[in-house]
Amino acid sequence: MSTLDRIKNVAAELLKVDSSRVQESSRFVEDLGADSMQSIELVAAFEEEFDIEMDEDAALGVKTVGDAVGFIDKVMAEG
Amino acid sequence: MNLESYLALTPEAIKILKGNGCWSRSWSKVKVTKGFDPTRIAGTIFRGEVRIGNLEGEFVPSDGIKRYAGIFDANLHNVVIGDNCHISNVNGWLSNLIIEDNVLMENVGSIVCQGETSFGNGHAIEVLNEGGGRELKITAMTSAQTAYLSTMYRHDDALIKALNQIADNYAGGVRSHRATIGEGAKLFHCQNIVNVNIGQGAILRGIQNLKEGTIASSHDAPTFVGDGVIAKDFIIQKGAHVSDGALLSSTLIGEASKIGKQFSAENSVMFCNSEGFHSEVCSIFGGPYTVTHHRSTLLIAGMFSFFNAGSGTNQSNHMYKLGPLHQGILERGSKTGSSSYLLWPSRVGAFSAIMGKHYANFDSSDFPFSYVNEDGGQSTLVPGMNFFTVGTMRDGLKWPTRDRRKNSDKLDQLNFEVLSPYTGQKMMRGQSILLELYSGAEKGQEYVSHQGILIKRLLLKTCSRYYRLALEKYLGDVLVSRLEGNPAMVLKDLTTPPEGAEDGNSTWIDVSGLLCTQPRLNNLLEQIKAGEVTTQHALQSELEMIHDSYALDEWSWVQQAIPEVYSFESITSENLMTVLEKWKVSSNKLLNMVEMDASKEFEGTVRTGFGIDGHQSEDFEKVRGTFESNSFKKQLDEMRQAVEGNYDRSLSILNKL
Repeated sequence: MSTLDRIKNVAAELLKVDSSRVQESSRFVEDLGADSMQSIELVAAFEEEFDIEMDEDAALGVKTVGDAVGFIDKVMAEG
Repeated sequence: MNLESYLALTPEAIKILKGNGCWSRSWSKVKVTKGFDPTRIAGTIFRGEVRIGNLEGEFVPSDGIKRYAGIFDANLHNVVIGDNCHISNVNGWLSNLIIEDNVLMENVGSIVCQGETSFGNGHAIEVLNEGGGRELKITAMTSAQTAYLSTMYRHDDALIKALNQIADNYAGGVRSHRATIGEGAKLFHCQNIVNVNIGQGAILRGIQNLKEGTIASSHDAPTFVGDGVIAKDFIIQKGAHVSDGALLSSTLIGEASKIGKQFSAENSVMFCNSEGFHSEVCSIFGGPYTVTHHRSTLLIAGMFSFFNAGSGTNQSNHMYKLGPLHQGILERGSKTGSSSYLLWPSRVGAFSAIMGKHYANFDSSDFPFSYVNEDGGQSTLVPGMNFFTVGTMRDGLKWPTRDRRKNSDKLDQLNFEVLSPYTGQKMMRGQSILLELYSGAEKGQEYVSHQGILIKRLLLKTCSRYYRLALEKYLGDVLVSRLEGNPAMVLKDLTTPPEGAEDGNSTWIDVSGLLCTQPRLNNLLEQIKAGEVTTQHALQSELEMIHDSYALDEWSWVQQAIPEVYSFESITSENLMTVLEKWKVSSNKLLNMVEMDASKEFEGTVRTGFGIDGHQSEDFEKVRGTFESNSFKKQLDEMRQAVEGNYDRSLSILNKL
């Protein structure tokens, strides 16, 4: 499964939205309704899903699903 | 005022007084000072022993209308009146009073002392636990710290006995048949004042009814008590402002506190810089900076400090049926959101934000800087998250700047630090608990439970990292401050425990605003129990010395915390470089996260309602400004620059070690 699909699944489950609503261009806050707590939970859920550790402030700066894909791919590439 | 130097009235003076409409059954009991001017008294009845000083000079109070020293239309009974007072239109009696020099009293009712009294000093109030058991004897010199010991150390009978004795001694020292109105006090349009000592420079205006109390005041911190105030069995400390229909019963109002707008308090203390408007408090231990502003808020049977109550904040202390037995603790820096509710007994960790209604009894004291949320009727905790919010940072910056106390003899000892060994120890413990909970949790588990509150399993590792980040920031803060304080230091200065400091492994406690090690406090407690500290003044001096030791003991704690947090075997210059590097990173992360939090107040849904008929962005920016021009954003930018500068200077010092 691609990074995008895994992110879509995690976001849909955590934010309790239909996975079809989660698109690459979707903004976590404005389009998917994430509040500040859920934003933190999303970071934690991505960390668990990809077994990575994300920089706290940089991760919270990620606005869209597409940004998250790029961010996580970069973290994983850096090992 | 020299009470020995009074003379009998001359026949000429009596004649003038009678001619001015004055009356006395026994003129021989009226004594005056040399140079007394009888023409300055008119329409006055003298009863009992009356002493009058020189009446000369004039006043120009805030209304700009000049008053001449003198006594006009007054009823005096057993009073000593100092030099240069203006007393006029006393509708009732001034009885059993010592009125010091330069007092202005105009259009007042009865100000009397009836029988022997201690003026509210030594009065026991049922603080924190409505059902009793924590009675505190309040005095004009009760500090937040002495009250804390009396209230919270009930397990130590000898200590409580000694502290009560100290309070009784103080009360005994002021016990008298005469109340004092202090030098330079001004009283206008007051109704009934019975058994109340009024301090120097106090201003009383439009009081309705005061009974059994002390209004401490000084010229450098005058106290104001104003319109419609009704108070009984009370202490109001220096520089406080109490007005607008406030109702006080068995209550102490601390230095520079502001109380008014029909605020009601019963069996409560609210120490320095507290604010109470509109709302109600009952049996609370309000430490320094306890703030409640909203009509629908009730604070009951709780301990607070550096606290802000949201509107509709409420707590219950009738969990069972044996009466109001239950109490709660919100550690320093906590705040409650609108309509929040807590079921006592509960204890909330320092600098936490409480939102929603909580029907579980929980203890989150191991988790400072937390969000306490309600999720589907359950209480949930997000540890550490509140450290990275704009609110916590702003609170930490604002408290020191809002210390309104002007008197040099401040009672409450305060440490304003948000990050301190107190919160540092808790974060270390909290971090360890979170990791333990994580290792014991199943992957499919949504929540884990700890001390009655739920924590999302997913957040356990994240929140432990928050604490790690805050610790790295704090340890670096102290190191940088140490290096900058002594650029010529050698490594030994950093590795050797400071002389006179407490053991770095000591437990830190928050004594209602005073942060100190438990052993240092215990040492004082032993002195009190041994009878080596027997007066309020001596106790105050000892507490000031503990306060003065903060920086020394803090460094001692940091010296042992650095190896523990970083798993260093010892402190070397290389290891300190690591601490410095981590400090720079964590400081910038904190600033970035706080900035992100602050920026939310300028984007998205916060703009709702702006631009009622269009032009939303323009309207918003005219009213709220832009984020880039916001003063807090500018402050954050300055902090970033300071981090860079401090890092460079500290690195240079470390390189020379």
